[in-house]
Amino acid sequence: MTSMEMAHFPILSTILLSTVLGLLVILFIPADRPKLIKQVSLGFAGLGLVLCLWLYQAYDLQKGGLQFVERFLWVESLGIYYFNAVDGINLPMLLLTAVVLFTGVWTMWDLELRVKEFFALVFLLVAGVYGVFMSMDLFWIFVWYDVSLFPMYPLIAIWGSTRKEYGAMKLTLYLLAGSALILPGILYLWAQAGGVTFDLFELQKIGFSPFAQKLAFIFFYIGFGILAAVWPLHTWSPVGHVAAPTAVSMIHAGVLMKLGAYGILRLGMTLCPEGLAYWADLMALLGTVGIVYGAFVGLAQTDLKYVIGYSSVSHMGMVGLGLSTMTVNGINGAVFQMFAHGVMTALFFSAVGYIYDRTHTKMIPDLGGLSRTMPVASAFFIVAAFSGIGVPCMASFWAELLVFLSAVKTYPVRGILAVFGLVVSALFMLRVVQRTFYGERNERWAHIPDVPLFLATPRIILVSIIIFFGIFPKLMLDVIQSAVIPFVGSL
Amino acid sequence: MMKWVLFIPELYYLLMAVVFFACSLSRRLQSGVLYRWAVILAGGGLLATVLAVNQNGFIFFDCYRVDLYSQLFKILLALGTFWVIFSCSELQGIDSRYHAEFFLLTTVCTLGMMMLVSANELLTVYVSIELSSYSLYLLVPMRKQTEIYVETGIKYFMIGVTASAFMLFGISFIFGVAHTTYVPDLVKTLPSLIKEPAAIIGLVLTLCGFFFKQALFPFHSWAPDVYMGAANQVTTYIATASKMAAAAMVIRFVNLSGGESPLFTQVLVGLAVLSMTFGNLVAIIQKDLKRLLAYSSIAHAGYMMIGILTMSEHGVASAIYYSAAYLVMNFACFMVIMKVADDGRNLQIKELAGLHKRSPLLAMTLMLGLFGLAGIPPTVGFTGKFLVFAAALRKGYLILVIIGMINATISLYYYLIVIKAAYLLEPERPYPDVRVDTWTRALSYGLIVLMIYLGVFPDQFVALTEAAARSLP
Repeated sequence: MTSMEMAHFPILSTILLSTVLGLLVILFIPADRPKLIKQVSLGFAGLGLVLCLWLYQAYDLQKGGLQFVERFLWVESLGIYYFNAVDGINLPMLLLTAVVLFTGVWTMWDLELRVKEFFALVFLLVAGVYGVFMSMDLFWIFVWYDVSLFPMYPLIAIWGSTRKEYGAMKLTLYLLAGSALILPGILYLWAQAGGVTFDLFELQKIGFSPFAQKLAFIFFYIGFGILAAVWPLHTWSPVGHVAAPTAVSMIHAGVLMKLGAYGILRLGMTLCPEGLAYWADLMALLGTVGIVYGAFVGLAQTDLKYVIGYSSVSHMGMVGLGLSTMTVNGINGAVFQMFAHGVMTALFFSAVGYIYDRTHTKMIPDLGGLSRTMPVASAFFIVAAFSGIGVPCMASFWAELLVFLSAVKTYPVRGILAVFGLVVSALFMLRVVQRTFYGERNERWAHIPDVPLFLATPRIILVSIIIFFGIFPKLMLDVIQSAVIPFVGSL
Repeated sequence: MMKWVLFIPELYYLLMAVVFFACSLSRRLQSGVLYRWAVILAGGGLLATVLAVNQNGFIFFDCYRVDLYSQLFKILLALGTFWVIFSCSELQGIDSRYHAEFFLLTTVCTLGMMMLVSANELLTVYVSIELSSYSLYLLVPMRKQTEIYVETGIKYFMIGVTASAFMLFGISFIFGVAHTTYVPDLVKTLPSLIKEPAAIIGLVLTLCGFFFKQALFPFHSWAPDVYMGAANQVTTYIATASKMAAAAMVIRFVNLSGGESPLFTQVLVGLAVLSMTFGNLVAIIQKDLKRLLAYSSIAHAGYMMIGILTMSEHGVASAIYYSAAYLVMNFACFMVIMKVADDGRNLQIKELAGLHKRSPLLAMTLMLGLFGLAGIPPTVGFTGKFLVFAAALRKGYLILVIIGMINATISLYYYLIVIKAAYLLEPERPYPDVRVDTWTRALSYGLIVLMIYLGVFPDQFVALTEAAARSLP
């Protein structure tokens, strides 16, 4: 590739710019006009969504490989490129980010505290997320990765609840400790390659020594694994989810955690295939433990957000297990699960968010019989719960099916254990649904109105996406496969 | 005769010192007028230094070398001095009778440091470092409440002269081994002599003097007390401009060994690790913001050392970049201290509570400065760390880089505590308003832009630092 390459409209940079521009516009609106700030935020989030949808349909399945490439030399002496592109792996992630941002902003329509700063920070965070997903240069991946992490601290510490300062600090330190491993990993590979390029695909061609691959892979696996909530590095995750406000929980569990899994896949697996082969066994083991552990701990929770937090640990375990199989089905399933879990968790948190905003409690014993007081709000949670269990006609059904099929084949014992974990997770989800939405009605909440149409809309969008891709999984699997098949072939 | 052109920035500062000396003799001069003249003169100094950037050559019997490396550091020194003087509109911490002396000593110190970065011969180095040091020894006890902080000045002086004694001792060893005091000759001879214990001892002892200036562990013990005990403006000067000269000299002298002695490198690795870890761990428990920044400066001396000890062109370039970045970020933090505590008191972290309401701009400047110090992208501090670590990994120091990154994560904890105070905490009692005049506002915007611009578009500046690194003898 030449140092400059771009013969088309820079759609990826425009997507990135939609958040940066949104951020700047928000900064220039006076803080005493919260309504305008919300409208502008929704407008820019919507713009990002439209662009991502266009990108998704414009992606050429036949051609596969990298598309919409934008590549400029940035720092010559170090070989840093501003290099954006999409393939079948990051395209679904970009779409996911756009969906979650759009619905997340909409969900926070009732926010009153320091509105301007909230949305500015959310846009900064999402700029980082978009950046990681579209960058193909290790330097930029790392930069955007850190940009997406540090707004989490104020977002949780100012607008959060339940031990918010502790949660925010724990989360920030954990995640940045992760990045403290990623940077040496990146620089190590760069130095091994002669210190001439950070271009992911140039580095991929080099073929590092087995030792370098094993070493770098474990850096990436632990570093990104913290964000992906790989057991036992997950402890920040339930605490952080519980402390965060609704939209931040949505973005965080829905999108940010996927950055971790994506990083393992994009940096660890792509650059260090031999490292992957060496550590795959451990990855599978930790993935399985995560699935079973998350399910069992979820069983014992009484706080709705903790339930979702631990179910996330379990579901992200599936992503790890899928990736560790090194098969087309396994990786397909893992990437699809990243998307499905993102939408599903966003729905989960937005459903709980509404309930919490009205009742000021998220403790299961305090709720009860909610489906009679607020049937629509309850329905959102129930749909998300079904999706979490992997009921057919939901996007996650296909994802989990693919992961388990390949896991049972590759790692029989662990695969079966993981399926067992799924059964436990079904048990705890149904228990939560039963105790929170059915059963005896708590009269304290009898007067609470159901979710109005305006606030229901973002949740309806999320439900529609879950069901849409549940019925037409091919629309996503074909895209994912276009990148995964050549990748597995090269392993 | 033409060679005097090489000496123009120094001559300018000498002239500036004479002006302030005259001012100090007159007691009728008003503080406001003096401040305005000081700003104009310091601005002129910066301009003169920038214009002299491309000068090259030797003067004073080759004792004095002017090259891109020295000129770049002179610009950083002039910039630091200009910023400090610029933000001295409220010199509340210092008795108004001594304002002229304050400007005089600052100028003389800058002059000494400028000569230091150009010094090409060991005794010239020694004389220059003493010239700058004695100005600082006088500046520190100038604070109004001298009775409380008198210990500070004495401590600084005592430790300082001890360090310079060690340095002189070291210089004599080097001379004894190499039979020359000229740096270019030392560059040629020392690498082959470095196996001899006397050469290593000489080099390490000489470096002690610079490590003291840089506040590298274990030569740091003065820093927390002096940072806390000196007036805010003096602390700012010590923490920013004077660190540039120290960095320049450490880079130059570490490179004298030519990387030929594994033992010497190991000593430096040990110092870097100890400095980072000690500085960061102790900073966590600080309540006073200046004291916290003092410990953070000990840690940053360690990060910078990672780049320096690689003794490669990339390492030197990264260390130059890092020190420039440190100047900008640290100044941003200290400017906020000066403005928030404009009556000259020491600022406690809890006093920052609610700063985002009292002055959103200063809160933002402080936040970006601290994020920069913590190494969060896209600030200049991140790029600095990135370059330093990249240079270290080119030489295979993987473990050192990992330790550095872990330290960066630890440091984030205490920087976040300060940011939390500014953005999250509600004040315990109503604190006085923060007055931000137009010039401070402009400077804040400038610093914010600089911190982000250099972080995101480092290419040209990196090229400049690399050229400077190549010009080292």
